[in-house]
Amino acid sequence: MRDIPTTTKNTKIDIMNEINEQTTNSFANIVENAGFWVNYLTERVCGLLVAAMIGVVWFGIIDRYFLALGGTWTEELARYIMIWAALLAVPCCSYRREHIGLDLVFKKIPKKYQVKSRVFLDLLGMAFFVFLFYYGIMMTQAGATQYATIFSMNMTIPYLSVPVASGLTIFQIFVCIVREISKTSPLFVIRERTV
Amino acid sequence: MTIVAICFFVLLLVGVPIGYVLGIAGVIGLFQIGGDNFFVMAPKRFFDGLNLFTFMAMPFFILAGEIMNKAGMTMRLAAFADSLVGYMRGGLAHSNMLASVLFAGMTGAAVSDAAAFGNTLVPAMVKQGYSRPFACAVTAAGSIIGPTIPPSNLMVIYGSLAGVSIAGLFAAGILPGILICLSCMALITALGRRLGLPKAEGGPSLKEIIRTFKSSISAILMPGIILGGILGGIVTPTEAAAIAVAYALFVGFFLERTIGVKDVFEMLIRTGRITGVVFLIIASASILSWWMTFMQIPQMLATFFLSLSSDPLIIKGLILCFLIAIGMFMDINAALIILTPMLGTLTTAIGMHPVHAGVMIILTLNISLMTPPVGACIFVLSSVTGERIEKISASLWPFIIVEIAVLVLITYCTDLAMFFPKLLLDL
Repeated sequence: MRDIPTTTKNTKIDIMNEINEQTTNSFANIVENAGFWVNYLTERVCGLLVAAMIGVVWFGIIDRYFLALGGTWTEELARYIMIWAALLAVPCCSYRREHIGLDLVFKKIPKKYQVKSRVFLDLLGMAFFVFLFYYGIMMTQAGATQYATIFSMNMTIPYLSVPVASGLTIFQIFVCIVREISKTSPLFVIRERTV
Repeated sequence: MTIVAICFFVLLLVGVPIGYVLGIAGVIGLFQIGGDNFFVMAPKRFFDGLNLFTFMAMPFFILAGEIMNKAGMTMRLAAFADSLVGYMRGGLAHSNMLASVLFAGMTGAAVSDAAAFGNTLVPAMVKQGYSRPFACAVTAAGSIIGPTIPPSNLMVIYGSLAGVSIAGLFAAGILPGILICLSCMALITALGRRLGLPKAEGGPSLKEIIRTFKSSISAILMPGIILGGILGGIVTPTEAAAIAVAYALFVGFFLERTIGVKDVFEMLIRTGRITGVVFLIIASASILSWWMTFMQIPQMLATFFLSLSSDPLIIKGLILCFLIAIGMFMDINAALIILTPMLGTLTTAIGMHPVHAGVMIILTLNISLMTPPVGACIFVLSSVTGERIEKISASLWPFIIVEIAVLVLITYCTDLAMFFPKLLLDL
C-alpha cells in the first residue's frame, strides 16, 4: 500500500500553474501527459465494459423469465467482457500505483536508494508483462483456429485481451519509472484535485 | 521448488506488487519444469484463471455497495444501529459493530467496510471521547463481518475454485458473522468501565428506532433480495449480484434521488479498477497454482499435514494455525487461490463437509485481514484516519482473541457451522 505522491498546493491558481508546468515540453512531462491520456481512455473503456457486462447479465435474466428466446450466449459473452474489463483495469492500476504490495522492507531502505530500488522493482514487473505480451500474442494467433463453446465466436478477440492489457501495462509502468526518476507529480492527482 | 519459493518470498518482501510476484514466481516455476516449452501455458492460465461466470459476482457486489454508499445508505444504517444500541455504555462502539452487520449485506469486502466507517464513525467516536486507536480497533474488528455475512467475494472465489455451493457458503456465513458481532459487543461491554467509554444520556427511543428503520429500510432489504434469490433457487449468485446492482440503482435514482448518470459512470470506472487489482492477483495466481498442481505440491502438503497426525481435531487446528500464519504475510485472495487445492484435499481426507471447510477457511483468512504486520483492514484504517498501525494493533488484540474463539467454535462444532446450510438448503 504505497502513498501516491501529492503536493501541498491547494488554491485553484496553484493547481492550474501546476498543470501548466506539467505541460512544458520536457521528456518527463511528455511521457506523463501521454500516460495520463492513455489511462483516461482506458478507464473509460473499462467503465463502459463493466456497464455492458451488467447489461448482458440483465438481458440473460429477462430472457430466461420473460422473453424465452433461449439466449444461452449471454453467459459466455458476459465472461469475455468481464475478462476484457478486468485486464484493461490492470494498466490503470499500474499507472496509479494501486496494485497491492508490501512496503514494510521498502520503507527501511535509505531515502537516497529508494528511487533506484523502486525503478528496479518496476523493471521486474515490466519484465513479467513483456513475457505475457510476447506469449499472449502467440496464444492469440493460436486462437484464430479455436471457437467459443456456445456462440462459436473466434477466440482471437477474447485472447487478445492478454497482449493488449500487457502492452498497456508495460507502457504505464514505463510512465511510472520516468515519473519516479524525474520526480514529476502524477498528472491524475493534480487534475482530479481540480474537480 | 526451492528457487520458486525463495523468489516468491523475496520479491514479496521487497515490495513488488503481489499480482506481479505471483506471475513471476509462476513463470520461474514453468521454466524450471520444462525450459521454455511450458511458457505458452502462462498466458493461457492467466486467461483461463478469470474465465469463470461466477467471478462476475465480485464486480457486481462491489458496484452495488458503491451505489448504496453513494446513495447515503451507509450513514442511515449507522443511524439505525445507533438508535438500537447507542444508549449503552460505549454506545457508538456497539453501533459501529452492529452497523458492520447491516453493512455486510451491501458489501462483500472487509476493506470497503473499514474505509466507509473509518471515514465516518471513527471521527464521530473520537469526537465523543473514545481514543482513536480504540475506535480504529472496533472498526477493524467489525469490518471482517463484511466478507463473512453474504454477499462475500471470498466465498465466490472459494466456491468457484473448489466446486463448492456458493449458496451453501453464503448460508454458512450468516451465523459466524452474527457471533462475531455479539462476542465483540460483549467485549466492548466488558471493557466499557475499565476504559471509561462514554455513555449516552437517556434510554432507547422507540420513535427514533422506527424513524431510522424507515429511512434505512431499502438498504436492509438488499441482503434479503440477494439471499432470497439465491437460496430460493430463482437466480445464480452472479445473477443475484446483477439484480443487486439494479436494485441499488433504483434506490439511488428513484427513491433517494442522490445519484446521477455521471456518478454512476465514475462508480463503474472505480469498480473496474478495484476489480483489476483483485483479478490480476487471481490471474497471476492461476499460473503459480498450475505449476504447483503439476509438481503435486498440494498433495505433498496434504500428506505432510496428515503425517503429523491422523486425528481430525488436530488437523483442523493445524489448518487454522497455518492459515493465520500465511494470512499475516499474504494477500488473502492470493492465499485462497494458491491453497484451495491443498486445503480441499486435506479437509476431504479428514471428512469435513465442503461447506463447513469453506466457511472455516474463509473466516480464518478474514481474521488475518486485521492481524499485523500485513492486515489490509489496519492499513486502510491507518491511511483513512492517520492513526499509527502499531497503536491500532495494540488496541486490537482483545478483539482478535474473541474472534479466534468464534473461529474455534465454528471449526469444531459442525452442527453449529452447518445450522443455516441445513435449515435453508438441506445440505
